[in-house]
Amino acid sequence: MADEQVSIAVIKDGNTAKPDPFTVCIIANPALEAPWGSGQFLPDQIVGARGAFDSCAAHIVDCLYGSLPGQGEMLLAPPDIRDEVRIVTLFVAGAGADDSNSLVGQDAVSNILVPRRAAFAPFMNRHGIVADIAYAVSSSASHARASAWFTSDDDGRSGVAFQLDGIQLFHRHFCLVPGTIAIHVDERSLTALHEFQHALSSYSNGKIVDLYVDGSLGVNKKRARPIPPAFGTYRATQHASDPMRDGLGYPAGWGTFHCGLHLPSSPAVMDNYFQGASPLACQNDTVTRQFLLDRLRAKVSR
Amino acid sequence: MRPLSPDEREAVALRHPEAAPGEVEGRLDEYERLLADRFAQDPDLPLAPEAAGLVGDREERLLELHRLLFDLPDEG
Repeated sequence: MADEQVSIAVIKDGNTAKPDPFTVCIIANPALEAPWGSGQFLPDQIVGARGAFDSCAAHIVDCLYGSLPGQGEMLLAPPDIRDEVRIVTLFVAGAGADDSNSLVGQDAVSNILVPRRAAFAPFMNRHGIVADIAYAVSSSASHARASAWFTSDDDGRSGVAFQLDGIQLFHRHFCLVPGTIAIHVDERSLTALHEFQHALSSYSNGKIVDLYVDGSLGVNKKRARPIPPAFGTYRATQHASDPMRDGLGYPAGWGTFHCGLHLPSSPAVMDNYFQGASPLACQNDTVTRQFLLDRLRAKVSR
Repeated sequence: MRPLSPDEREAVALRHPEAAPGEVEGRLDEYERLLADRFAQDPDLPLAPEAAGLVGDREERLLELHRLLFDLPDEG
């Protein structure tokens, strides 16, 4: 650690009157586990590319606030959220290529960058940062697909209760494990927002899942055929189903279905936005947007 | 996780000109579903032996599909 050069930049102050504002940390990943789970580490070249890292961080912030040209979904832009979120970047040069400094693994069965979620909080804490959501930016030469682990909520602490299809859950104020994202330094388009929405959601209080696969269920995906007109009820509001899957259509054999969209002419943000005529224009479905805004509002109110 | 772009999906299909119609697409859909399922499951949640076995089966199937889709040698 004596050889480390640490640079912390505050991109957005957030609510400076609070001791622990909702915080997003964007980190230059010091070391890659290659492959993921192997215990073998090599330096991530991002630590020699400060300019590229800063550009990526700026893109991430723009994407979260919906300020990319033509962007349709502006998740952090509502006035009661916008200035409450603290965003910082963390750039550590000279860190050893070892377990404690490795936030990203290179998946052995894909080209996905996998967040090493258990390493994030200790790494950030060593540099005086506590975050709710954290991005690790990599310049891996072989792996370029971003991924995210959802938040593990602290269900032993406070939160805001809500009903989802008759079940009481909580938008928890604090987490046991922050939502974590691994993203490539060259990544642009809507990916930073798509992954943030995964990471902001909760394994115990509501998962926001990928809509472009006929797989795991969540707040935003259910299973039934025929597709019922009503998708479900969130906080006493009934949300309609999307019978057409935003124009993409549900493939033959699929059993899952989605919630109705704010912009039916484009795929949902959690669907395959690359299949839209203008990927940046994609917006959330109605339950995803409301769920995530409520979750943000709970966290910024703590 | 980031979805595959149409160009990326097409690139996978082009690696297998000999495949039957829909065969590569079906394998790729399964591959993507299993990858997405991985992240939708709490990685720190203790699993019963049966559930842990299913996770292992999933990773084995992912390895098999990765080799099939990307023409990788079978090192088994």
